[in-house]
Amino acid sequence: MINEDYFLAALRLAAGNDPIPGHVSAAARDAYGLRVPQAVTAAPAELPVSAEVRGSDGCHMVRFVASGLTFDLEVTVGDGLIDVAGQVIPPPGEGSHVDVRTPHLTLTRRLPATGQFAATGLPPGWLSVVCHRPGHAPVQTRWVRIRP
Amino acid sequence: MREPRDPKELLEAAADDDQTAWDELETRFGPRMWAVARACGLNETDAADAVQGAWLRLLEHLHTIRDPAGVGAWLATTTRREAMLISRKDLTFAPRFDLVREPDPAAAVLEADSSRLLWKTVSSLDEPCRTLLQLVAADVGYQQVALRLGVPIGSVGPTRTRCLEKLRTLISLQETVQ
Repeated sequence: MINEDYFLAALRLAAGNDPIPGHVSAAARDAYGLRVPQAVTAAPAELPVSAEVRGSDGCHMVRFVASGLTFDLEVTVGDGLIDVAGQVIPPPGEGSHVDVRTPHLTLTRRLPATGQFAATGLPPGWLSVVCHRPGHAPVQTRWVRIRP
Repeated sequence: MREPRDPKELLEAAADDDQTAWDELETRFGPRMWAVARACGLNETDAADAVQGAWLRLLEHLHTIRDPAGVGAWLATTTRREAMLISRKDLTFAPRFDLVREPDPAAAVLEADSSRLLWKTVSSLDEPCRTLLQLVAADVGYQQVALRLGVPIGSVGPTRTRCLEKLRTLISLQETVQ
């Protein structure tokens, strides 16, 4: 592998064909609005073997962990849209909420005592969940790409 | 009119709540990121995801990029990483990877404003490399390339690899001289 990809990219770029589409540039600029100041980023973590199964029904499990907080997300892709059922462990307590975010749509859910939440009908693409707790810095999962 | 800011300044300003700095980063590096994603063989939808993914990774690391002056190379490398994950579909949902901290040296080809230099170097290559790389840059398929060069289609891939290797050597030499 001699990093041909970079040279091919550079050649195509220099040739001026296949320019970046306007909507891709616009999406990149809009992404700046998605930053969460002071947020701690939760990294992907191993799931128990029993849970790490991609079901035939298009259901995925993924786990993120940071600073004592675990996000377990069960993501279902169906009809071209994404449904997320999740749980924040340990439950962060009263006054907490999560933002289930895509670049185009954010759904906010107040967290009950169980720490469970659900959001449906999200557009496919990049997804992240941010947990806001009173008196703590927000914790955001890394962005994960979900497509049918 | 204000002097254009360098990548380090832009990154620091973007980390400090300056949308215009972020926009400038996009103007400067977005086209290259797109070219990287497309060069990895992705269609438009997947390439758009790879580019968007790299920008989202930058958001996650706005304050922790080790070499702010090399943010362009970081973005190109990260785009390539996302593109590879997307093209290996089984891994797109298992984003357990360590982000590249050191930019790939080859990304410098995309990092520098080197289009003119690159074309000059391509023009200096002997045939069939000169024509072949010009055709490849224009996204001409292997069959057409074989026809234009009068060679068997099976030899186009290996020849392309050899020509890119020559190009890389020449570019490296020029960078050493500079």
